[in-house]
Amino acid sequence: MATIRILIVFAVLSGLVAYLVYLERKVLAFMQARLGPMRVGPWGLLQPIADGLKLLLKEDIVPSGADKALFLLAPVISVLAAFTVFAVIPYANNFLITDVNIGLLLILGISSLGIYGIILGGWSSNSHYPLLGALRSSAQLVSYEVAAGIALVGVLLISNSLSMVHIVERQQQTGLWNVFVQPVGFFVYLVAAVAETNRAPFDLPEAESELTAGFHTEYSGFRFALYFLAEYTNMVLVSCIAVTLFFGGWLRPFASVRWLDFLNYGPVAGLIGAGIFVLWLGWKARDTGERGFFKFLGVALIVLGVLVAYPPVLAAVQGIFWFTAKMLLFLYAFIWYRGTFPRYRYDQLMNVGWRWLIPLALANLIATALVLYFISPHAGLGSG
Amino acid sequence: MKELLRRIFLVDLIKGLKLTFSYQRPSATYTEQYPLERPPVAERYRGAPRLNNNPETGETLCIACNLCSLACPENLIVVGWERTEDRRKKLTTFTYDLSRCMFCGLCEDACPVDALELTQDFEIAEYSREGMIWDRKTLEEGPEPSRYTR
Repeated sequence: MATIRILIVFAVLSGLVAYLVYLERKVLAFMQARLGPMRVGPWGLLQPIADGLKLLLKEDIVPSGADKALFLLAPVISVLAAFTVFAVIPYANNFLITDVNIGLLLILGISSLGIYGIILGGWSSNSHYPLLGALRSSAQLVSYEVAAGIALVGVLLISNSLSMVHIVERQQQTGLWNVFVQPVGFFVYLVAAVAETNRAPFDLPEAESELTAGFHTEYSGFRFALYFLAEYTNMVLVSCIAVTLFFGGWLRPFASVRWLDFLNYGPVAGLIGAGIFVLWLGWKARDTGERGFFKFLGVALIVLGVLVAYPPVLAAVQGIFWFTAKMLLFLYAFIWYRGTFPRYRYDQLMNVGWRWLIPLALANLIATALVLYFISPHAGLGSG
Repeated sequence: MKELLRRIFLVDLIKGLKLTFSYQRPSATYTEQYPLERPPVAERYRGAPRLNNNPETGETLCIACNLCSLACPENLIVVGWERTEDRRKKLTTFTYDLSRCMFCGLCEDACPVDALELTQDFEIAEYSREGMIWDRKTLEEGPEPSRYTR
């Protein structure tokens, strides 16, 4: 059973990452008054497949003078570290691979290993740009990991557990998402998460204008694709962690408010809404093939939405729907930041990390601990 | 104090986010998918030349007066004619070397019967230099670029 779930998560994740690249190109394009990919398939929907095919067919170059073993190993480390962590994410109350009682610790530990992929890749390339990119990356990850870790400890204090499932269940019991209890912690985690995934505005390790492509300058073909996969998987990962820890995981908004129970029909509304949007696209398309495709897709989505309205099915997809919806919002926010903020200078980056985020996270941690101690000495720090 | 609050609550960053978000509306898109949709050109744009026919009879409007050829600063128009029995000029050939044309429109101005005209067609690329020399048939029918539909 677990094997099947692992396969499902792996397949869905790979597809999601591929289409995340598409989404990013589209959203960035719209923000810049462009259209983005339009030529491969209707509205460029087959673009990720074309990209993947191109990368797979390209030559796999190992630069002369590179440390070959490490050079080949590095992207694999990145991808493995990024994918392994998804084993302990609770996607829904009825769909998770495993629940470990040290869940969050495992996540922090393994995702920190991912930086080895970047450092080793940059160092073993025997080239200046990758080396500089790797140096920047390691410094950046070390500084922001601290802030992110301390910000997460605040959540641990509240929920009294490291297990991801318990953290969500705790939010269900109190009827309050952690983001309302720990707004500062959430803010610090959000900024640190953007920095840890090397995304704009903290994308110094791969700053195109300064370092060509940063740590993966010398990589080509499939190994470059692996780095790409790892970066976007990490984006999905930090979104999943943020959703689980701060936004109630699989819980619907206001899970404890009875008169808002109509929100349980969110999956139905979401699917039918998406179907109507796709139908509208089809109605606007001028090419007949494209129109047929969109109409088919729109009708299929609406039929799926109607099917989901059947109560047992609705109960089954409830959790996974809300989890996915919240996660997609986070992913959108990542792209949104990239479309808005200019890149930080290196000293500014360090300034933000050490002089603002870490003190802020520490203050938040101390305040949380004190409040918990005075409210309930037994439930909080004391007996645990 | 106000400045401090602005910085703490990241007002400027949120303003930036709002701006980029607003640019996602479809009407803000500036891209034009060129071969699928063609841009409108200015009313007085001078592009590919055309020899007009009388729309009713289908006969050429050109009276072979040779004024366009004389007006042309590049001397790229060659008008060929023959005399009919009633001593009138009749147009036989008309070549127009588009590769040397600078689209000044003097030929168009010189034409007394509105036979020669510079149209708004701008797709006049050819695969060879010889292809740029248009004969009477091409001038009357216009270039045929491949058409795409969206």
